[in-house]
Amino acid sequence: MTSRVRPGRWLLAVPMSLLALATIYPLVFTANVAMKTRREYILDRFSLADALRWENVATAWNSVGMARYLANSVGTVTAAVVLLLLFGSMAGFALSQLRFRGSSALFLGCLAALFVPFQVIMVPLNRIMADAGLVDTYPGLVLAYVAQFLPFTIFLMTSYYRTIPTEIVDAARIDGNSVYGVYRRIMLPLGAPALLSVGILDALFCWNDVLIALLLMPSTEHRTLMVGVTSLRGQYSADIPTFASGVLIAAIPVLVIYLFLQRQIADGVAAGSTKG
Amino acid sequence: MKQRAVWPAILVAALVLGGCGSASGTRSSPGGSDAKLVVWDWKSGEPTAAQYIEKAKADFARKHPGVTVEFVAQPHDQYYTLLGTAIQSGKGPDVILFNGGGQIRDRVDALLPLDEYVAEDRQRLAGWDAFTKDGKTYAGPVTLQGHPIYYNRSLYEKAGLDPAKPAATWPEFVANCAAITKRTGTKCFALGNKEGIGIQFFLSAFGSGVLTPQEYDAWIAGKRDWTSPHVKRIFALWKETQDAKLNSDGPNSTAMFNDAFALFQSAKASHVIGLMSDIGHWKDFGEFLTADKVGVMRAPVVVPGATPSLPFDGGIGYGVARWTRDPKLAADLVRSLTSTDALTAFHTQAGAIAADTTIDVSQGGPAVTTIVADLASGKPALHVALSSRTLDLMGRVSQQLLSGSITVDEAVRQLAASDQAG
Repeated sequence: MTSRVRPGRWLLAVPMSLLALATIYPLVFTANVAMKTRREYILDRFSLADALRWENVATAWNSVGMARYLANSVGTVTAAVVLLLLFGSMAGFALSQLRFRGSSALFLGCLAALFVPFQVIMVPLNRIMADAGLVDTYPGLVLAYVAQFLPFTIFLMTSYYRTIPTEIVDAARIDGNSVYGVYRRIMLPLGAPALLSVGILDALFCWNDVLIALLLMPSTEHRTLMVGVTSLRGQYSADIPTFASGVLIAAIPVLVIYLFLQRQIADGVAAGSTKG
Repeated sequence: MKQRAVWPAILVAALVLGGCGSASGTRSSPGGSDAKLVVWDWKSGEPTAAQYIEKAKADFARKHPGVTVEFVAQPHDQYYTLLGTAIQSGKGPDVILFNGGGQIRDRVDALLPLDEYVAEDRQRLAGWDAFTKDGKTYAGPVTLQGHPIYYNRSLYEKAGLDPAKPAATWPEFVANCAAITKRTGTKCFALGNKEGIGIQFFLSAFGSGVLTPQEYDAWIAGKRDWTSPHVKRIFALWKETQDAKLNSDGPNSTAMFNDAFALFQSAKASHVIGLMSDIGHWKDFGEFLTADKVGVMRAPVVVPGATPSLPFDGGIGYGVARWTRDPKLAADLVRSLTSTDALTAFHTQAGAIAADTTIDVSQGGPAVTTIVADLASGKPALHVALSSRTLDLMGRVSQQLLSGSITVDEAVRQLAASDQAG
């Protein structure tokens, strides 16, 4: 018995494949350029690299101290995402399930904060952080990330928790749970798919940030990985193969996480889409 | 009770974890202190600036052995945004690198005038005007930046032309280009105008071959006559080079930096309007063109009576922040960063045309010798005198000119209106 593929599927598969290719191509191009010599790149940037050369990756890794920057990024992003998920889920639960005066205004305030560009708050943030002695410290950067991305996290978690029937919370309260007990025993497990999606998005936001880290971490040794990659560029110029190697180094942790968590990520996005 | 303690414990652990990291590093002093000076730039992280920075640090350490200097290399594309935040917060570095011209003049309120500290360096260094506003100097020049017309001497030889005698007039130049294209198949100009920068370089590189000396000086002094037929001739020339197929293919989709210079150095074009420092200069082409194969020519005369000259200004320079605690100390660091020893290293390693006119450049090859010799009769670049708004507009109309969607008269009319609006 042979399985027949419906023509409709082919019609869908072709554009989707093209879309996938367009998404993957920049990464393939970057990896290819990273393997080239500067001479090879100047002569023809689109040709395949003659050989797998890892010298550029080694140069990028060693020239600006990427190992230190990688550790800085992993530490700050992990701490920021933990706090974001903690506060975001608590706020989302409160705003969606608990009845209290001003909850709508509070939610609208979070929404409004999403529309404020970071450039607008750069000066006051820098002043506050400097006065609090938090400039050039990891807690300072973590707090800034939490402040910057918390409105988004709250918005998504609130939207998700609103899809959970209020009766579940009421039943749990009747069973003797405190508000904290409802949050921990009911809302956190039910919110796991959304927390995973939001956590991945928050991690990507923090990981890819350049401006906040540049502003608040002026010391060279405190820089994050993306700032390290950016510093491989000059005013006009860059050794493009080395720069591409830096981009590749920065992308690898994200790719590894995706490879290990792709099932959960897909489930999380799907859960969010059907319930949100 | 146990469960209630879990979340606060996680929170505290996360913050402690973050705090541990910072405790292990050296904390910089954003505002500087008596024992430490913080420098912001975008150069100190580049390998070709390593010796320059080391020499400057050594010179400063000899004069002030107890003072620490920390260089913080910022990415250039975010540099002025970060600096603007530091200036508005009043908390930032002690010594700051600037591009000459508008970038520093727009920020002099945050800087200390350095005239009393750099008096001894006045004669030795060139390019001060780019760091001066209302008669006060705000930075010590490190490099000079200009727009020589480079040519590939090998291609001249292959075409049967004498590389020692580049064209002196526009008709000669066009004839030379035709000969090179016929014999070697290469285009005349490597042009990148994707960001609209190509026209700026073109205006400055060819302007002195079109405008009379009086018109040129008036332009720099701010008395620009956009209705002059000579000004229109420059923009007509820009269009003609495209129509005559002198330019490399697709200039409006080719980036100037990296791409257009790559075309020149890989011998896909015989000429390029380059730079004197940073990129696109004699040493930057070295991977493909050895120094003796790079020639420099003055603008060919287009209009009789014009006197071609090298367009150049101060390139980059270090200034001192107004909030620094010890201005003399910071100014001493600027002097170390502009010392002959340090700038010699910068010239040798990076190929930059340093602001120090006493440096021996005889080992640099014919191109750098010609450039340095031309500095004496050189003049400020025409495009540097324009506002950034007019330059942006010029970038747009230049693309429209190349694509044929606007006339020269209309382009010049729009530019005049923008320039007069200030």
